[in-house]
Amino acid sequence: MTDHRLDAILGTTGRDPGCDAGLDFIDEYCEIVARGEAVPDRFADFLTHLGNCRACREDTEGLLAVVRAQENRESR
Amino acid sequence: MDTLALDTESADWLRDLRDSGGARDNAIERLHGLLVRVARGEAVRRRATMSARAADEVDDLCVQAASDALMAILAKLDTYRGSARFTTWACKFVILEASARLRRHAWRERKVELDDTIWDRLPDRAPLILERLEDDQLIGALHHAVDTHLTERQRLVFQSVTMAEVPTDVLAERLGTTRGAVYKILHDARAKLRRALTDAGYAEQRND
Repeated sequence: MTDHRLDAILGTTGRDPGCDAGLDFIDEYCEIVARGEAVPDRFADFLTHLGNCRACREDTEGLLAVVRAQENRESR
Repeated sequence: MDTLALDTESADWLRDLRDSGGARDNAIERLHGLLVRVARGEAVRRRATMSARAADEVDDLCVQAASDALMAILAKLDTYRGSARFTTWACKFVILEASARLRRHAWRERKVELDDTIWDRLPDRAPLILERLEDDQLIGALHHAVDTHLTERQRLVFQSVTMAEVPTDVLAERLGTTRGAVYKILHDARAKLRRALTDAGYAEQRND
């Protein structure tokens, strides 16, 4: 029996590289998302980490807000 | 790793920051100004977690975060490879510095301790994550696995982060370690619990 309600508390089952490794990807990832492009497969482990780590998720949201604000200024 | 072809603005930042004269000083001043603005923007974005009385402290905290981020950027300048714009790469350092400080500030008057009553609270005071499990048998199996398979430090980290919603960098500061190290403890604890709950028929095994 599998209970996916546990994923919220145990994390998902994908490979999770942790906070420090995720730092290498956060800037490139935010620019890809801000451009509205598909996120390449090589970000799969990073995305697993974002799903499991609230602090990294919040930091990514913060950087994404910065990138979007910059793109908005440039497009005006 | 090779450096990718840089956009003009990023190349200009790198050239100026590597200059040995006035261009470097000017670039450092501009970069610090950008980092302070970004840190303040992050504080505004997180204002719901801050008390209005703390505005001056938060602004000091943003300036400190920008200064520490600037030091980190200058020390790591040779590691910039151009996979994102220079300003995006630089801003990640200040976002990390500012958000960690803001989380710690928001938690500065709150205790972090192992609280086993968290498992036995009535629904209106129970951790949201347990409420969502909606199954006393499953919660009982999880509680049993936590008690029998985790070390005391793993229990502290697991219960604090997943149930009491203590930010990992707040916990890291209290335990005198790093956020990455706390996350590793959490990751190992979760893996142990998943194994135990798999054996008990509740969960699927993780891949790593």
